[in-house]
Amino acid sequence: MWELLICFMATVAFAIIFNTPSRLLWRIGLIGVLAWTIYSSIQDINVSFIAAAAVAAFSASLMSYGLSRHHRVPVTTFAIPGIIPLVPGGKAYETMLAFVEENYIEGLTQGAATLLHAGAIAGGVVFALSIFSIGRGVDQRYET
Amino acid sequence: MAEKGRLVDLCLFAGKLMVTYGAETYRAEDIMNRMAVAGGLKNVHSFVTTTGIFLSGVQDNGDNLMQMIRIVDRFQDLNKVAEVNQLSRDFVMGRIDEVEANQQLLKISAARMNYPLWLIYIASGVAGGAFSYLVGNTKFDMIPAAMGGLMSTLFLVLFQHYLHAKFFSEYLASFFGSITALTLVHSGYGTSVDQVIIGTIIPLVPGIPLTNSVRDLMNGDLISGLARGAEAALTALSIAAGVATAVSLFLP
Repeated sequence: MWELLICFMATVAFAIIFNTPSRLLWRIGLIGVLAWTIYSSIQDINVSFIAAAAVAAFSASLMSYGLSRHHRVPVTTFAIPGIIPLVPGGKAYETMLAFVEENYIEGLTQGAATLLHAGAIAGGVVFALSIFSIGRGVDQRYET
Repeated sequence: MAEKGRLVDLCLFAGKLMVTYGAETYRAEDIMNRMAVAGGLKNVHSFVTTTGIFLSGVQDNGDNLMQMIRIVDRFQDLNKVAEVNQLSRDFVMGRIDEVEANQQLLKISAARMNYPLWLIYIASGVAGGAFSYLVGNTKFDMIPAAMGGLMSTLFLVLFQHYLHAKFFSEYLASFFGSITALTLVHSGYGTSVDQVIIGTIIPLVPGIPLTNSVRDLMNGDLISGLARGAEAALTALSIAAGVATAVSLFLP
């Protein structure tokens, strides 16, 4: 419970840093809490962090799309702060630290893990995007 | 000749605001196309990249119109993106006319951030502290991490204001933020250097370029996707270099 509150605070703080409209703040916080809950509870049942990040990012952006349709704002307003709790900040720092200490093998290992983590988040977001743009893809972009 | 020239100016202004304040490429192209078609242009094509916008169309009398606009600075302000989006929707529906839309765009572009600066400082402190708890699960590191996050945003705004050099001020901000964090940990506040530094640099993370880069690439907007990806990578490298400098000063 304490952890969820912290996660809510982190997401809302990022929403303030990115200057999102103030009436949407608590909903953005709920998206962050959802993403973090899914991310940590999937890892508890022995699934790798990569799959957990992908599933969490997918659900967070699915919820962002639903809310952005409802409130008629661009989806980035919800999606960018909402996936912030998943960002692999710790792994990126470990990578950098290993390279500074000239521990290159460890640095490459951590760097690969960071890249996979970031790629998994991107994959989840893009998968949600393609679900929501089925049927309005090509003819909307090239309408004249 | 230029009866639709002001319409093209309006569309370019809207697109410029969208790209400057962090919208995705396809959204900027989409609103420009819709506004130009609603204003009476035919055969409209827009091409949006991260650093410049092109828009072309054909008038009723058969003359071609083609203009471009350059985008120099990019900021983070999702509220302005939402407002321009709403305005384009109103314009396409015919609820406001060209003159009124232009006035509203001027108002949006001149508007201040909708949170005061001290709230943004506090928010980055909160973000730093909360994130270091999420990564490391120790409550003692939250307060020094919050201090570090606050200091790094404070330095970022300060250097950006005086230097006008984006990547260099990010480097300096992460350097001074890490110095603050390391000093706090070495004088006994906080247990683990790693978690405090992670909390310190997390408010500087390029969230908007990173997310938009992936979205643009997957959408087929390869040029703007790569440009945004380069921007995000350079920012990440500047932050990493700042931390690395600070850590290697404290290592021996």
